[in-house]
Amino acid sequence: MSGSFAAFFILSLLTIGGAVFMISFTRVVHMVISLGVTFLSIAGLFILLEAEFVAVSQVLVYSGAISILMLFGIMLTKHDAIEDGGSRGVNRIVGFLIVAVFFAICFWAIQRTTWPGPAPISQPDVSNAKQIGMEVFTKYVIPFELVSVLLLVALVGAIIMAKKEGDNE
Amino acid sequence: MANLLQQTTSLWNVTMFALAAVVLLLVVLGFVTYAIYFERKVIGWMQLRIGPNRVGPLGLLQTVADVAKLLMKEDTRPQNADKALFALAPVLAYAPAFGVLAVIPFTDSIQFADLGIGVLYYIALSGITVLGVITAGWASNNKYSLIGGLRSAAQMISYEVPLVMSVVGVVLMTGSMNLREIVEAQKDVWNIVPQFLGFLVFLVAAQAELNRTPFDLPEAESELVAGYHVEYSGFRFAMFMLAEYVYMFGMGALVTILFLGGWLPIPGLSFIPGIVWFILKFSLYVFFQFWLRATMPRLRADQLMSFAWKGLLPVALLNILITAVVISVQNGSFHS
Repeated sequence: MSGSFAAFFILSLLTIGGAVFMISFTRVVHMVISLGVTFLSIAGLFILLEAEFVAVSQVLVYSGAISILMLFGIMLTKHDAIEDGGSRGVNRIVGFLIVAVFFAICFWAIQRTTWPGPAPISQPDVSNAKQIGMEVFTKYVIPFELVSVLLLVALVGAIIMAKKEGDNE
Repeated sequence: MANLLQQTTSLWNVTMFALAAVVLLLVVLGFVTYAIYFERKVIGWMQLRIGPNRVGPLGLLQTVADVAKLLMKEDTRPQNADKALFALAPVLAYAPAFGVLAVIPFTDSIQFADLGIGVLYYIALSGITVLGVITAGWASNNKYSLIGGLRSAAQMISYEVPLVMSVVGVVLMTGSMNLREIVEAQKDVWNIVPQFLGFLVFLVAAQAELNRTPFDLPEAESELVAGYHVEYSGFRFAMFMLAEYVYMFGMGALVTILFLGGWLPIPGLSFIPGIVWFILKFSLYVFFQFWLRATMPRLRADQLMSFAWKGLLPVALLNILITAVVISVQNGSFHS
């Protein structure tokens, strides 16, 4: 068994396990931590694919995001707040059916897809941060700039909404 | 070290990795032991005291005795604490602190992993510690530790932004995020000269990231008893303490590499080996930490955030702008 296979096995187990526990835990802080496990394991999977820039960006973005999410979880809920058991009976069966159908569709689609052969392996001495930079600023420059404008609009919008509430007090 | 990573996995090279990591851990532990000793000595001298001088010759074994005492303490846990998270938090805080050391090149040959994105790796991983700190604050079920945890999260997340921005200037000048290439690009002149503005911002932001004076609000003992680790004792408290000093080790190494030319000697003194230069520059930063701690008062909590966003961030952005313009002029972009 090669090292990368063992690592893949452990990381995918952690990814799926984190997601499952995220749903089954009843306290909000526990949920956030298991979500964090999922995000960090996905970063590990990116490293196995030799996409270390994407992996590090994943950690950089989501470790901050998880911390913020946790702060909101702490500030907006009671300390001992526990979610009640959830719905019972008919709802459960309907929910299970929907999920089963969704799984069937996904599985069918994945099985049917003919995957393109592996892309020609780029020369390993060019760091992939450089390659991503080249692509983003030549081929994808307009979508990239549009996304940044969108984020700026969201940021300004959030500030204006927060300001309005502040003025009313 | 680097070519070991390319081989197929076998018992032999897994053992080698483990051994190398243990050696690094021992070096770091040795550093932490004597960093604490020198911190107490230096602060003592600055305050016209003697500092620790009882245990061993010159008090050299004082920290060893303190650690032994710490580890033999009873491991207490509040009754209403969240058991699992209370145990997980010290691990979450410490593991990334040790993990960031993997990319640090101590000399041109002593390095664990030669990543193309070393700078980003360091910054990304150090962000995970915040999560450990909030978890500790929440799981202790104590209002002081929660306040300490929240303060720490707000502070570390907002100071991470100017920290990253101040490094961008260095990355622009080098054209690479690889720490080894960054050092090699400083052959002619160390980055501290062309990137002085970036260096100042980095120094201040690093201080806040390390939770050290004058930004030690998460551990303000006069306001918060102790901060996020109020309820911790014994080995678990030692983990938090260790994480803090290991970050100091990491940050010292990072400053040395990014701005002070890493293992490169002062011109004319190249007969002294690189590792000695690295240790000298690194010790200078560590001394600077103790010097600040002995002389600076703590910032007020309400000034902290506005300083990061309204003071440091614009300066860091200005630095990026200046660097980018200068590089464009040098490359002849304005002479079309």
